[in-house]
Amino acid sequence: MGERGSLPLVAMRWMIVSEWRTYPSRIAIAVLAIALGVALGFAVHLINGSALSEFDHAIQTVSGDADLQVHATSAAGFSEALYPQMAHVSGIAKVSPVVELHAQAQGHAALTILGLDVLSAAVVTPRLLGRRSDGQHDPSDFFSDSAIFLSAAAMQASGRRVGQSIDITSMGHSASFRIIGDLPGIPAGQAIGVMDIAAAQWRFGQLGKLQRLDFRLAPDADRAQLSSALASRLPLGAEIVTRHNEETRSDSLSRAYRVNLDMLALMALLTGGFLVYSAQSLSVARRRPQFALIRVLGLERRSLVAQIFLEALVVGAVGALGGLLLGLGLAAAALHLLGSDLGGGYFSGGVPHLSFAPGAAIAFGALGVAASLVGGLLPARDAARSQPALALKNLGDAIDPRVHPRIRLALLLVVLGAAGSLAPAVNGLPIFGYASMALLLAGGIAMMPWLARTLLWIFLRRPISNVSLSLAIQRLWGAPSQAALALSGIVASTSLMIAMAVMVVSFRGSVEAWLYQVLPADLYLALDDSGVGGGFDAVTQNNMRHVEGVAWMGFMKETPLRLAPDKPDVWLIARTVDGPAGGLPLLSPGLAVPPNDIPVWVSEPAAGIYGIHPGDHLVLPIAGVTPRVFVAGIWRDYGRQQGSIVIDSDTYTRLTGDARRSIASVALKKGALADAVIARLRAVLPAGVADHLSVSRSQEIRSKGIAAFDRSFAITYLLEAIPILVGLIGVAATVSAQTLARIKEFGMLRHIGVLRLQIVAMLIAEGALLGAIGGIAGIGLGLAMSQILIRVVNPQSFHWTMDTRIPWLLFIIVIVALIVAAGGTALFAGRRALSTAAVTAVREDW
Amino acid sequence: MIRRRMTRWILLVIWLVSCGFAQAPARAEGPVYADVLPGHSLTFPADYGAHPDFRTEWWYVTGWLHTPDGPRGFQITFFRSRPDVDQNNPSAFSPKQIILAHVALSDPKLGKLIDDQRIARQGFGLANAATGDTAVVLDDWSLVRGADDVYTARAGTEAFGLNLHLRPTQALLIQGDRGYSSKGASAGEASYYYSAPHLSVAGTLRQGGRTVEVSGDAWLDHEWSSSFLAARSAGWDWTGLNLDDGGSLTAFQVRDAAGQPVWAGGSFRDASGATVVLRRDDVQFSTKRSWLSPRTGIHYPVVQTLTIKLPSGSRQFILTPLFDDQELDSRATGGPVYWEGAVKTDGGKGYLELVGYATAVKI
Amino acid sequence: MLTVTSLRKAVPGGRVLFQDLNLTVRNGQFVAITGESGVGKSTLLNLLAGLDRADAGSVVIDGTALELLQDDELTRLRRDRIGFVFQAFHVLPHLDLAHNVALPLVLQKVDAHEALARATGMLEAIGLGGRGADYPRQLSGGELQRIAIARALIHRPGLILADEPTGNLDPETAAKVMALFVDQVREAGASVVLVTHSPASAAVADRVLHLTRDGLVEHG
Repeated sequence: MGERGSLPLVAMRWMIVSEWRTYPSRIAIAVLAIALGVALGFAVHLINGSALSEFDHAIQTVSGDADLQVHATSAAGFSEALYPQMAHVSGIAKVSPVVELHAQAQGHAALTILGLDVLSAAVVTPRLLGRRSDGQHDPSDFFSDSAIFLSAAAMQASGRRVGQSIDITSMGHSASFRIIGDLPGIPAGQAIGVMDIAAAQWRFGQLGKLQRLDFRLAPDADRAQLSSALASRLPLGAEIVTRHNEETRSDSLSRAYRVNLDMLALMALLTGGFLVYSAQSLSVARRRPQFALIRVLGLERRSLVAQIFLEALVVGAVGALGGLLLGLGLAAAALHLLGSDLGGGYFSGGVPHLSFAPGAAIAFGALGVAASLVGGLLPARDAARSQPALALKNLGDAIDPRVHPRIRLALLLVVLGAAGSLAPAVNGLPIFGYASMALLLAGGIAMMPWLARTLLWIFLRRPISNVSLSLAIQRLWGAPSQAALALSGIVASTSLMIAMAVMVVSFRGSVEAWLYQVLPADLYLALDDSGVGGGFDAVTQNNMRHVEGVAWMGFMKETPLRLAPDKPDVWLIARTVDGPAGGLPLLSPGLAVPPNDIPVWVSEPAAGIYGIHPGDHLVLPIAGVTPRVFVAGIWRDYGRQQGSIVIDSDTYTRLTGDARRSIASVALKKGALADAVIARLRAVLPAGVADHLSVSRSQEIRSKGIAAFDRSFAITYLLEAIPILVGLIGVAATVSAQTLARIKEFGMLRHIGVLRLQIVAMLIAEGALLGAIGGIAGIGLGLAMSQILIRVVNPQSFHWTMDTRIPWLLFIIVIVALIVAAGGTALFAGRRALSTAAVTAVREDW
Repeated sequence: MIRRRMTRWILLVIWLVSCGFAQAPARAEGPVYADVLPGHSLTFPADYGAHPDFRTEWWYVTGWLHTPDGPRGFQITFFRSRPDVDQNNPSAFSPKQIILAHVALSDPKLGKLIDDQRIARQGFGLANAATGDTAVVLDDWSLVRGADDVYTARAGTEAFGLNLHLRPTQALLIQGDRGYSSKGASAGEASYYYSAPHLSVAGTLRQGGRTVEVSGDAWLDHEWSSSFLAARSAGWDWTGLNLDDGGSLTAFQVRDAAGQPVWAGGSFRDASGATVVLRRDDVQFSTKRSWLSPRTGIHYPVVQTLTIKLPSGSRQFILTPLFDDQELDSRATGGPVYWEGAVKTDGGKGYLELVGYATAVKI
Repeated sequence: MLTVTSLRKAVPGGRVLFQDLNLTVRNGQFVAITGESGVGKSTLLNLLAGLDRADAGSVVIDGTALELLQDDELTRLRRDRIGFVFQAFHVLPHLDLAHNVALPLVLQKVDAHEALARATGMLEAIGLGGRGADYPRQLSGGELQRIAIARALIHRPGLILADEPTGNLDPETAAKVMALFVDQVREAGASVVLVTHSPASAAVADRVLHLTRDGLVEHG
């Protein structure tokens, strides 16, 4: 009798709607929690997506769709004699030679100069060709050595238009050009200038050199075979590059940064899901008698489960939808304000394009709904399992207070987490690091009931005369699952926030200390030379050394060096290594250099990326020379994530013949005035060079460095705030819900003679205890997680190590805030409980 | 598309050549172009080669091929152009000379022309017009005169390829006044010009995947100058005919925008080798039949009556094309439109070129 | 209507409430069960309702043996054939009176409009006509119990189980409520098993049984 199959939807609808209508704020908080989590995850994903497509564009743009390319391994380029050699290789239909230089326009705008032979580029990379738009028709301008085509972004950045002149500086040379048209094939955001290849060679000192060869292959050519055939014929200054390599190279530069952002966002989603879980749990616990009634009246078990899931589903769906919209807005705002590297400094300027990603939207929306459903899973199971007859009697917490909470599962999770932190990186990403953090978090939360019990047990050993405190402790002791629920929310959000805070504070402190170590001189003089080459020549250097007031002067030059085709260029730093202000912040004492070996010092990131250890021998592809060097030590370098290698300045000059240096570091004599010395130094510079000189005091550089750090982590600070906010809301919601459910209890207490004030004190004590226990546990757990961030995640992602610094003040503030929040909320909710209505509530049904 | 871009650049180079007329401000350190002067003798073998000081130069080979599948017309041309760029630029890429090449095949079975062109700046051995002898190279296309006086011409595309040996059977035909060929009334409107008629062709033609042996007769024009035509000229007609009796006829006229001839010239060499230089009034082209191009809507006088005045009296040659549609239209990609095809006459065969029937072409 | 045979039940902890309990309730018969606190009256009712399982013995309601049914089938049985009145009213506080009374009908998937219409009629019958839109907090204890009675009968069950329905009411209200209760069940022709320790309430029954450790004993 009675059909199976369909659910009593009307009954379910009545139950759900009446509940929400009565407690709209409960449902609103749950929806908000999901929305926040989804919004953050989606926003970060969109921002990353826009970053990636900017990369793609940049690469596609600059390579212009050639079938195959040969690139120089350093900015010094390779001999142009390679061009006719390549042209004769069978399988190659056409070769387009390219001069590719980093340059500056009008002194401030960075752009890439491509010197093209339009006649070959028209065949191989037609998208790079310029379009005449200055109204003139003198066709010889196409071959002119003083005409240039600029992309829209280049014109924007330099502030010049078609028909005007523009000053371009590159490789130590400056020249003025007439803008005769634009580059319609270059998408927005790419600052490119195209000129005749002969002009580029002549004007920028590249005679006899090229940086790139673009190939169009014959239709039947086998690209892979051709690549390897060509690769074997290339000199050491050139290498084959495919689109894939280029993308990988640029992608890997900021991949770790972006993955970390993704993780932070997922954590936010996790916290949101957790809040939904606690909200759902409480709601189900509170309605247990109602559920019992309706089970007795004839609602099947599975219909009840379905009802709870339906509630969770609606919360998840509404929250996810709102979250997606919010995330879209957040991403647009962040991109507009901070750029698609979110201040990380990986991209230059331009407002990046935000493209809506429907696939990602569906994925994050589904994640939000899933988090909500999972949050409702346990409560639903609880409700289904409960015995209606028992629940009707409203015995409250069905768990026997005599049972001691188990710690085994929690311990297992913690041990697994600790083990996971020892695992190495996967594909350059600290997957196991994040997993171990999640396991630690789960273990910590699972440990809360036991921890609460144990800590409270300490209190219970001595009798407490204060009634309120005693009642508070007894209550927490007696209802461990409810206490655990509130605690878990606090611990989850606090630990995440503390972990990130400790990591950031440690990092910042280490960076500050490092800045002092690497900037020991008083003044730094740099030539505004974007790219490599140019600088103070040997004569000028000597003159500068002998200026009055200069105690010591060191010179430095940075050259990009390609050690692997799919990794970003490493910086080769030629600098004075000896001398009072020449030392490097080595991580361990330097090794003794074998005689006749050339020593180099490799930075931490370079050592991590390329697997270099002290004592190794390397071959460096410095154009034309390729010396074999000995790694004498590893030094800390926060400034160059792609890695750097230091070689002695004189050795570099000896190897390459290049004595020009672009940065001078000056230690002043005691009593010498900085401004006077600067003026004298300017005076000894050759004409024209002084205009490109910028002088910085080390303090300025340090401040800028820290400011850059803060900008990069601005978004992290924001993301930190979210979990704590969610946590506080969670605490408030939990405590107030529990308080309201105990109206009868308070009424009873008042009946037996407990004073209003004492009940108030009891509530505050309960909240404060929860806040304190949760805060301490959260901080402890957060510290453990922060060590994973510091010792595992950061080194595996960026190949940086740092020293741990503890923000004690922050800890104190957090605990105080939690105590105040929890206690205050309990009080706020309890004021209802203390109204006269409470006294009569004893008589009431519910 | 490759062709698209190529033809655009050819047009640009043609424009480049016209720079000589534009009153453009003198470029700093621009090239100084050599002038074509009367009273200068051509010397060989030096004048077989390129003359880099002059603005424009070409080696223009046309001819008839006998193939197992019937007759074909062919044309292979190599141009050298000297753009107006700063001569101080020491870069090896500096476009001080540009090499262009064009090849076309007239196949009556196809009923229209198939052609291709290339362009590159001279340098690195990849494209070069050598001095001292005829040796023009552009990637794998070439026209080289060998030690045995035989020209080897190679050019081709995916659609067809030519590998021809051209053996001179007669002495060179020096055009104009010892090579000084007037193209207009003023002294500056002239070129140095010689021809090699009656070249005996032997070689291969690759078409449609098949390679066949061919033979035939060809004609080579080698001409160079720094300025050619008066500003008011709109186009020209040119023909070079290998006569069956061993003689050669060269005739051209320059027209204005209204189609009226402003200049004409040519030469006639009879079977014995006696050459008559044809002056402006000695040459007359008249249209016998026009052909309307269905593609471009242009009327070409494909059948012409050519009347030349020789000391011995007038002679008339009626030129009829191998087939009507030998039009080259690259206007869609910014190139020129002209008609250039194999023609025969009573007692001879050769090529006819009709330029400037669409819009004015400045050269 | 209801036949209980050799029922045995022990509580967790080992104490045996009854070991060989027998009971027969005919259609339309009103049976009251009295006994001391803790003797197992409520447990017996739970067993009759299918909310608990006996250790041994059988409960047959209208031809259906409870011990053979699964949890869902027991639930459906309760839904279709049994009505409940509790001591603590157990009216849902967030639904209005009409919806509360209509609950058993919508659980049977009766159309909402029809269910509410019948509920409104029921409210009239118990003297609370016109107050369908009021909420439980606006009612007194006696009125709430009347709502519970209306809810128990609206789906015309064959068996009503009542657990101390007047336990929370003062004697005057209790009498009124019982009078209404008896009227309604007689009108509906339902059988009743009423558990109470109030002699006044037991007095309205056809039979009064006393539950002791040794089983049910007829009273007077």
